Amino acid sequence: MGRKTHTTLITKASDIRRTIFDMLKPHESHHIGCSLSIVDILAVLYFDSMNVFPKKPNSPMRDIFILSKGHAAAALYATLSLAGFFPKKLLTTFEEDEGALPGHATNTVPGVEVSTGSLGHGLSIGAGFALSFLHDKKPNNVYVLLSDGELNEGSTWEAIMFAGHHKLHNLVAIVDANGMQGYGKTKDIIDLTSLVAKAQEFRWDACEIDGHDIASLQSVLAKKKRKKPLFVVANTIKGKGIGALEGKFESHYKSLSKEQITEIVRNLNTI
Amino acid sequence: MRVGVIDEVYKLMGKNKDIFFLTGDLGYTAVEKIQEKYPGRFINVGVAEQNMIGIAAGLALTGKKVYVYSIIAFLILRAFEHIRDDLCYQDLDVTLIGIGSGLSYGYLSSTHFALEDIAIMRALPNMTIISPADEIEARSAVSHLVTYAHPTYIRIGKKNEPVVYTKKNTSFKLGVPTVLKKGTLDCIIFVTGSITIEVLKAHELLSHKNNLQCTVINISTIKPLILKSIEKKIVKAKCIITVEEHGQVGGLGSFIGEYLLQKKYHSDFYCINTGTEFIKTLGSQSYLRKKLGIDAVGIAQKILKFYKKV
Repeated sequence: MGRKTHTTLITKASDIRRTIFDMLKPHESHHIGCSLSIVDILAVLYFDSMNVFPKKPNSPMRDIFILSKGHAAAALYATLSLAGFFPKKLLTTFEEDEGALPGHATNTVPGVEVSTGSLGHGLSIGAGFALSFLHDKKPNNVYVLLSDGELNEGSTWEAIMFAGHHKLHNLVAIVDANGMQGYGKTKDIIDLTSLVAKAQEFRWDACEIDGHDIASLQSVLAKKKRKKPLFVVANTIKGKGIGALEGKFESHYKSLSKEQITEIVRNLNTI
Repeated sequence: MRVGVIDEVYKLMGKNKDIFFLTGDLGYTAVEKIQEKYPGRFINVGVAEQNMIGIAAGLALTGKKVYVYSIIAFLILRAFEHIRDDLCYQDLDVTLIGIGSGLSYGYLSSTHFALEDIAIMRALPNMTIISPADEIEARSAVSHLVTYAHPTYIRIGKKNEPVVYTKKNTSFKLGVPTVLKKGTLDCIIFVTGSITIEVLKAHELLSHKNNLQCTVINISTIKPLILKSIEKKIVKAKCIITVEEHGQVGGLGSFIGEYLLQKKYHSDFYCINTGTEFIKTLGSQSYLRKKLGIDAVGIAQKILKFYKKV
């Protein structure tokens, strides 16, 4: 996929947000806020940073993306569809009986590399991909998107230690630091500040950015020669882009009525 | 058994550059030659079994064949959900080499025993389970399964187990049971794993002292098990007995029992195993087998007592 301009990426992010709301089932779909918080990250990855081949999804030249926070599948499916991995009409089967798109990311969907849903799996699998590529001297990069709540999982830290020790410099971990997890605020449950310092202590390059700032994301996620894995703390807002949901803890679980979805889509279309 | 399995993997790694070997910081005096010969494909992941399974999955998703080595209690029990989601759900070419079957770790006690592993691994879709009787069969299984690209669990003992087979008379075939002793259909004994040697000794005792000629069948593939070739014998048997170094719940006895129910088998059925409690007695594997009545003499006594009531 060719590099895109800043303006184009902002438009792509808007398209992804709108597409998410086209998919949602009234009164049933949840994980809305945590899907919206990663939209800008996905827009930059799929339309700028990564080498992707939507018409040849298994191309050996592709970079690998793993949505370790698999519950935000709606955002990933919307992005993949807009990138051309599968027809838009497939999106209507999201969380439907006999549908093709499960509520957690599943690798039977074109473009989804790894099935996720249980937290604390993605970074280890990403490390396995990265290890294989380095062993074979292949240029592919591996991007793993984690939730901040997921950093409670011990297995995530096992992977962090491993990747740092083995200098998996083709591996990028991005933390969607929206500050909220399943039952409250991240800092009230297990306060892990400063994540940057912790990652550096485990031998990663690390930085903290605004996870909704397209230019910052482009700059940080651009392919560069590194000697260490890269740990990006992307500060985000749960429900980003939808005023009624922004910063609201309940947007993790709460489903919306048909009227609410219609209203949101109307507002998005007027932007 | 572990040295034999490692040696087979070592040989395969020489033929196939896409084979990786991962260990969870274990394998002293067993895995060194892989590390020395193939340092780029030997990864000591550290004491981190969950991460090890994930890394194996990532490697397999790039087309590698991966062997993962650790003690069963940690490899299977600690990392179980990772095995389910990362390996089985995605049907990946990863072989788990689990050491310490049953009571192999003797004096190291319950944290190191493997008495529930067959039960939980049987429950996983896409998981193949191999439980060889000795080192010769274990080697044969590893070699036979080199082109088998699905999640596989090989449940092996530790070291210096007595052999059951000779190189000439073993040829492991996936899913196929082996008749080790052809006796009458009065009594068929199913056995799995390193306790097979005890059953063969029990067979000798029963044969010579009690003139009971049992048929002994080795179930080295726990899943998928194909019993069609011996189905007629099974349903005609006067009694069926299972012997395993595994707990009562979910092991060999459970799945043979399920099979017999499906086949409407109406005769007598008896399971010999390690029971349903933690083993609190301290002892070596051979001592504990004796204590639990699953050594040769104990097995023979249990079989005889049961048979007399049939």
